[in-house]
Amino acid sequence: MSYYCKPTRDERTKINRALDRWGAFEFFKDKGLMIQKDDKKKVVVVVYLVTDNIEELMMRIHMMQPFSLGLAIGELKKQFLPTIAGADLFARYGERNKFYIVVGEKAENLVLYGRDIMGESIVEASDALGENDLVIVLNTASEAIAVGRTRFAGKSLFQSGRVTVTTIADAGYYLREEG
Amino acid sequence: MTLILPKSVESVSLSAKYGYDEWLVSRFLEYVPNVKDFLSKMERIPTQYIRVNTLKTSKADLMRRLLSKGFELKSTVMPEVLAVKKAPLVTGATTEYLLGHYYIQDLSSCMVVDALDITPGQLVLDVAAAPGGKTTFMAQKMNNSGAIIAVEPNSRRARSMSFNLARCGVYNTCILKTDALQVVNFGMKFDRVLLDAPCSCEGVIAKDPSRKISHTPQDVDYCSIMQQRLIQAAASSVKPDGILVYSTCSFAPEENEMVVDRLLQDFSNITVEPIEYGSSGLTRFGDLIFDDQLRNARRLYPHLHDTTGFFIARLRISS
Repeated sequence: MSYYCKPTRDERTKINRALDRWGAFEFFKDKGLMIQKDDKKKVVVVVYLVTDNIEELMMRIHMMQPFSLGLAIGELKKQFLPTIAGADLFARYGERNKFYIVVGEKAENLVLYGRDIMGESIVEASDALGENDLVIVLNTASEAIAVGRTRFAGKSLFQSGRVTVTTIADAGYYLREEG
Repeated sequence: MTLILPKSVESVSLSAKYGYDEWLVSRFLEYVPNVKDFLSKMERIPTQYIRVNTLKTSKADLMRRLLSKGFELKSTVMPEVLAVKKAPLVTGATTEYLLGHYYIQDLSSCMVVDALDITPGQLVLDVAAAPGGKTTFMAQKMNNSGAIIAVEPNSRRARSMSFNLARCGVYNTCILKTDALQVVNFGMKFDRVLLDAPCSCEGVIAKDPSRKISHTPQDVDYCSIMQQRLIQAAASSVKPDGILVYSTCSFAPEENEMVVDRLLQDFSNITVEPIEYGSSGLTRFGDLIFDDQLRNARRLYPHLHDTTGFFIARLRISS
């Protein structure tokens, strides 16, 4: 079981740090966030973006646990793992940094079917990326289409004939899950 | 009780020609204009519409992208809605769809939301909300501000709705998995309430031809009774001077005008306001005479308005 609540100051600091990694701290600093916590372990599981009115409503109808709330932007485990909806907001309103990579048009369709990313599909990636880094995968229109994890560092990400980024989540998920 | 009308030569012949149960056609002859055109239209694939999600893109940008992929789109009476005249790809599988730039939604369904006259910052209740097409349009009209409480009793449908909200980037909504009649127990009043009531779905026969013979007068009775309970609960949740929009995708007067008429009889502070689109609501059916205000309600007919069949009533609740 889990429950929703407002983050404590410490929790908000932890979330802000995570948002800063994606260049999205500024966008979120005045926004309302709520968290879903595990009932037993009392740890934050999911972070939600909500409006102020939703926060107020939750206080008023606290006897009813919502099925879902606002927009889940990420899971806070050992590391903050953005959801696709979160990645979309970060890409749209955040400052692009080394943790964003861009793939070509052909690869876009494959990624949207959940496929991993081949080196030759990557058209832009920072040399400063390390192995095992979480990245947001953009298409050529700078829209977030997936969240992935690098298998190589720096220039090795571009190597041909090998999967160099593992796709963790992609925007095609909505269709596959619904269907 | 659902009104069963006497058989006629015309009702027997049309029901045989188009494969309907006769009781249904004899009723259509009473309340659907130009029944032959209507039945013929229901045999054709309905026009597909998409609604631009302005939370994520602009109409111009979406049109540019889809046109470059070979889509043919046509403007409609609603600025946010486009008719898909040609689709070289599955409309529900494009990158733009997956990224939430549009929602596949019938024009009639968008007109229901339009009737709510929603403005940013309001508090809105959406009863029987899944799969979320109307909810996401409301969020769009509110520019993701204020709050929407979306009520859906079914887990699977609530989950599907949460995907649609996420895809469309909606963050002003909370989904409550509960029975719609429980809304009275929230102890809250809303600026706007939408009750798109579960119904016998006569209006979507073109999409689901099995309904020509699968539903019975008892189904209409069942829906009508449930709708009367739901509309009472929904009306009691509206703030003074707020708006309740009642809609169904059925043509049956027992599910539409009769439901609203009973509400008007019970509450003197409710008026039916005019709506821009569609044909007038009925003020009589068989022996039944409805409040004259029902003229302001709207009926959308596939053969006249190129939409799925819909009934929409906008009800203003005064203090």
